[in-house]
Amino acid sequence: MAANIFITDERIEGDDTENEDADADGPLAGRTVAVKDNISTKGVATTCGSAMLEEYVPPYDATVISRLKEAGATIVGKANMDEFGMGSTTETSAFGPTDNPAAPGHVPGGSSGGSAAAVAAGEADLALGSDTGGSIRCPAAFCGVVGIKPTYGLVSRYGLVAYGNSLEQIGPFGETVEDAAALLDVIAGPDERDATTRDAAPDGESYAAAATGDVDGLTIGVPTELLEGADEDVVDTFWDAIADLEAQGAEYHEVSLPSVEHAVEAYYVIAMSEASSNLARFDGVRYGPETETETEGNWNETFSQVRKDGFGDEVKRRILLGTYALSAGYHDKYYKKAQDARAWVKQDFDEALSEADVLASPTMPVTPFEQGESLDDPLQMYLADANTVPVNLADLPAISVPAGESDADGLPVGLQLVGPAFGEERLIRAASALEFE
Amino acid sequence: MTAQTVQQGDLVTVIGLEVHVQLETDTKIFCGCSTDQTDEPNENVCPVCLGLPGALPVLNEGAVEAAVKIGKAIDADIPEETRFHRKNYYYPDLPKNFQITQYDEPICADGDLEISVEGERRTVTIERAHLEEDPGSLQHVGGGGGIDSADYTLVNYNRAGTPLMEVVTAPDFRSPGEVRAFLAELEEVLEYLGVFDAERDGSLRIDANLSIIPEDEIESDDVTEIGEEALAAANRTEVKNISSHKGAEKALAYEETRQKNAIQRGRAVEQETRHWDESRGITVSMRSKEEEKDYRYFEEADLPPLRVSHWKDEISIPELPSARRERFQDEYTLSEEAASKLTSTKQVADFYEDVAQEFDPDLAATWVADNLLGELNYRDMEITGIESRLDEVTRLVELVATDEITAKNARETVLRSMLDDGRTPDEVVAEEGLGKTGEDEVQQAVVEAIDENPDAVADYESGDDGAINFLVGQVMQKTGGSADPGDVNQLLRAELND
Ligand SMILES: [Zn+2]
Repeated sequence: MAANIFITDERIEGDDTENEDADADGPLAGRTVAVKDNISTKGVATTCGSAMLEEYVPPYDATVISRLKEAGATIVGKANMDEFGMGSTTETSAFGPTDNPAAPGHVPGGSSGGSAAAVAAGEADLALGSDTGGSIRCPAAFCGVVGIKPTYGLVSRYGLVAYGNSLEQIGPFGETVEDAAALLDVIAGPDERDATTRDAAPDGESYAAAATGDVDGLTIGVPTELLEGADEDVVDTFWDAIADLEAQGAEYHEVSLPSVEHAVEAYYVIAMSEASSNLARFDGVRYGPETETETEGNWNETFSQVRKDGFGDEVKRRILLGTYALSAGYHDKYYKKAQDARAWVKQDFDEALSEADVLASPTMPVTPFEQGESLDDPLQMYLADANTVPVNLADLPAISVPAGESDADGLPVGLQLVGPAFGEERLIRAASALEFE
Repeated sequence: MTAQTVQQGDLVTVIGLEVHVQLETDTKIFCGCSTDQTDEPNENVCPVCLGLPGALPVLNEGAVEAAVKIGKAIDADIPEETRFHRKNYYYPDLPKNFQITQYDEPICADGDLEISVEGERRTVTIERAHLEEDPGSLQHVGGGGGIDSADYTLVNYNRAGTPLMEVVTAPDFRSPGEVRAFLAELEEVLEYLGVFDAERDGSLRIDANLSIIPEDEIESDDVTEIGEEALAAANRTEVKNISSHKGAEKALAYEETRQKNAIQRGRAVEQETRHWDESRGITVSMRSKEEEKDYRYFEEADLPPLRVSHWKDEISIPELPSARRERFQDEYTLSEEAASKLTSTKQVADFYEDVAQEFDPDLAATWVADNLLGELNYRDMEITGIESRLDEVTRLVELVATDEITAKNARETVLRSMLDDGRTPDEVVAEEGLGKTGEDEVQQAVVEAIDENPDAVADYESGDDGAINFLVGQVMQKTGGSADPGDVNQLLRAELND
């Protein structure tokens, strides 16, 4: 597999006769699914794209995996990803970068790059990713497929290896909105193993049934702040898509989200703080390569050495920054301030969504980077998340749907639609309209 | 602290406690694993309590219920809602390298507990009590035996996730004896609430802060009120690894003497953490780096805040030891000492009340407080050890109350044999022939003794009154010792004088 889409390409048959729960006539029978490698699969390695977990084989299935099996799906492999979800290019994976099937030589986006690439390359019908600050929507946009970041609490996180646990959700990829929505139907719903899940079943028959393309009378708010930093070509493609929706009966107006100028900073402080704690368990006692360095029986030294050897640079950078942001004397200045900003962002979205059914923006302000282009400049990479991270801060649902290709370089551009909490059906309905031309 | 030369009498001891109590729940605080203690390492574990990547905590509401009961018992403020935080630190027994605990919104704040020290009532302020998860346990093998000197260390996660309540007191104690009295009272209250099992290994773990303050640095006349400045100025030691109220008294008495001696000799007391070595009876400096620990507390987003405001009204608690003690004194006219003994555990008190309902409360008190608890104590047993045999004890009291056996035989023979040989009271009475002999039988024996011993009868009739003692002995022999010697004496005289 030259594109390096999978870290482990072991098949897990959902309709296997050994699996009592499986249903050969289930809604996903005969369909193949790629699963991001930070979602626990019983008996199949779950590496999180990290050398630290190269040997780790979970003894249990994530709730979404149990639901896939019950639905009769066939899992075709564990997809490549930025290490522990930390990146927007899938280049921080310890198992090498993944090529973008829709734009060879370019990154597939990240952190769920392998999942999006699997769907784009036809290696799987569907895929699961996770989105902490855009990690589903970014690769969906870069690979020209559909990705949904559900409302926080719609999908169980049980079995998702945590990065920023107050921000992230597991979500589906598909070639079409309806495909992605059908996978969402299978994975959504409350779980007694995840206390943050909520019972919020779709109003209609299913999420997939909402993919009608009916946008007649839909009001779209366009936050001006989310266009400001975007490349001109991207903005042009975005307006073409809005015009398309307008032609089908939607209306749009500009709205303002003044708080989003602080969103990237707030997001990184919160995500890194949580990561510093979530990744603390990888200390060499149960996970991680044995250290060659002599630590003379000092467990503190051993922990440090294992973490130094086992984590990549981006992960270490985020753990260090997150530790710093939570430290005595800095906690109020960084972590607490970021929480205040988060509350403000939520409020801004609530207000904007009281004047519009959905909010629209380019998913990414740029087209896919060339391989290796952004690795040296983490700040540039962080800023590329400007349009996606505010949605995670606000706990809201969003979808990225192909908007077309940039005129300048022919690379894929994604349109992001954001809805109110548990308003996934509205997003699915609106996004599917772009597929009916 | 600058070294000061002061007289021992001028020094005041100030102690505050952090008590970790294991709550008795069927399952762990954040998963469904059993809390049973088992010899098989890593048996009661699952992805959650092992801290496996991706596993999430789900709060066991039974632990919250136990915490609310404690809150009510210590008259604490219970907030509208309670939430959890992460306390971040690295230690090999901590599966996630953070502990889920409570920080600025503990389930109980500002409570108190009344204790009695040498007959005097004192109120100890409990600043807070919060829920948290217990870490796993470590077993150091070979080498020096400590974590840094062992050949290797084994980790057992059976304990990981056991619900803990951390009870933090104000620095209200002025002597190790007060600490012991407090811990005994706390244990009693917890057992009454049914949230604690004192028998369980490691169910009570105590860290104590002790400082010595010169009396003249205390502004208030009342030595129980110590200014924060005086406290802050004094160096304190934190004594860890205390696991019982007896151990606490010993450890703190040692530490108190050690610090006072240092001050008297003009040496500074170092601010440090010390480890109580129970077997050697001393505290030892842990020699670990003493930098201020930064636990980087922040909200545990995996556990949504839990509304508990209405729980306080819905959850009821039983009568507490102090109230029961007073009631026993009123209702059964018991002495304070007897009432204290009889309320020492809920089981003892419940058993006493059962017996007192059926028989004379005084007799019941003697039997439960003195005889039963005395014999159990002598054998290092607790009432819990004979839980299934309390009916037999009741039967024994009945035998005494209905005059079927003598109190002396009941206490010295029957009860001891019950405890030592496992026999029932009726078995002991039958097998040892302890049943009080009927009057006819005694009369028969008297007649026989007179017939069989004409010499003694002649001696008696010739005025040798001592001969009667020989005859009494004969009668006692015939009745197997179950007759009353005084009665026998009178019966003999009556028969002979006829
Ligand atoms: Zn467990």
